[in-house]
Amino acid sequence: MIRCAVWCMIWSSTAFACDVTGQRMNSEVQNAPEVYLSVDEIPLAQPFSVLVSICSETAVGQMGVDAIMPAHRHGLNYTPKVTALGGGAFRVDDMLFHMPGLWELQVNVDINGQSIFYSSEITLK
Amino acid sequence: MKLWFTAALIALAGAVRAEVLLSADEIEQTLSFGPWPPSFHSDPSNRVSNNARAIALGEALFNDPVLSVDGAFSCASCHDPEQAFTTPEARALGRVLLDRNTPSLQNLAGLRWYGWGGKSDNLWAASLHPIIEEQEMAHNADSLKTAISESTYIDEFEVLFGDIQVQDSELVLVNIAKTLSAYLETLATDQTQFDAFRDALENQDLAAAVSYPEAAQRGLQLFIGRGNCVLCHNGPRFSNNEFHDAGVPYFLNETEVDEGRFGGLNFLLSSPYTLDGNWNDDPNRQGAWAVRNVRRNHSDFGTFRTPSLRGVSETAPYMHNGSLSDLNAVIRHYSKIDTERLHADGEAILSELNLSEQEIADLVAFLVTLSKELY
Repeated sequence: MIRCAVWCMIWSSTAFACDVTGQRMNSEVQNAPEVYLSVDEIPLAQPFSVLVSICSETAVGQMGVDAIMPAHRHGLNYTPKVTALGGGAFRVDDMLFHMPGLWELQVNVDINGQSIFYSSEITLK
Repeated sequence: MKLWFTAALIALAGAVRAEVLLSADEIEQTLSFGPWPPSFHSDPSNRVSNNARAIALGEALFNDPVLSVDGAFSCASCHDPEQAFTTPEARALGRVLLDRNTPSLQNLAGLRWYGWGGKSDNLWAASLHPIIEEQEMAHNADSLKTAISESTYIDEFEVLFGDIQVQDSELVLVNIAKTLSAYLETLATDQTQFDAFRDALENQDLAAAVSYPEAAQRGLQLFIGRGNCVLCHNGPRFSNNEFHDAGVPYFLNETEVDEGRFGGLNFLLSSPYTLDGNWNDDPNRQGAWAVRNVRRNHSDFGTFRTPSLRGVSETAPYMHNGSLSDLNAVIRHYSKIDTERLHADGEAILSELNLSEQEIADLVAFLVTLSKELY
């Protein structure tokens, strides 16, 4: 059964123009480049893919993705596969949320030699 | 979910509040447990999946002691077709008393993991291991090839796989396992009283929906609500097919423990019979992502695969070691769970529910509607 994911937006966007769609991810780093997360549907306990787009004028290095359920004190059972698509876009495959509830999707991006942490909350019903 | 469907659900809940106890949100969650049965898809990793000859041969072999080295017992000796493909003993009796409860073999097609510890990522590997396990059927590849060559099944085997004499013994072993898998993937439980209720809600057939017992409805509300059962027992199979610490002791004796998923992963990652291995018939390696990407954690120690609840009232006793004799005992286990038994570094999901006697009875009433007896 495909379930709908409810996305919790943190704040709205401006800054560097970036022609992408999706939900903006949160970062506590001041003036961090905007990062957007795009996903259609998230099936419970089945693999799915997401698209991460980084709006940066400077070159983007590696990106890592993970997720946790803060209330349950556990993370993913599988390591997602990240593929760089160029232009600051990354496709992430083999994500799997094995429980309903609140997940925190986490992204670490290397920009200008600095690793910047981003997160988005996703409630999977 | 589309707006019109959400609106219909809300209208449904409002219209029949006196008879159907569920809220609109509860109805939406209830729909996620179906439809049942799921559509069948052939297993691409098994070239004889959904092959009628292979299914027939697999069924015959399943019931024949030829698959044990000394003809002592068959697969059906422990997985009794007359008892939902399990037996009522707490722990399986192979050549010795084994460590775990015999799992039912129904609804296995298309799972990501097999076995209490998930040591297989496909059904033919899960069928293969007991044949060569010393404490179970105790064949090796050579003895199995000889046994099949000398059996009445040789003609059917060769129709499916060709001349056995030119086949390496390990290939014969894998081929036999694939015929068993072809049979096992046909074993599915039927629709139950719960499914009739669930489908009635989907079809907005109120007359049919209200015939579902109120006790079962209250149990369902607990299942998806305060009980948090749905965190692990979700989807049409009532299982997320992942691994959890259920607070059941995993000490086998004073010095040994059942490693659960930790040991299952060690076995899996050294096995040649995975979807990422050379015995997979699928050139696209569909499904192999899981064995490639699965994470190993210390907290895997003593965790076990979430069992499906389909047909659950037919498969007592319960838990990985069969330590709980009936569904009432299982509910009481979770109601008064000893959280000190849970992994200190494991997931924080379970806590004492402190259910009333009425709530325990309601949860049992719900669970039995997932089986055929009351239907």
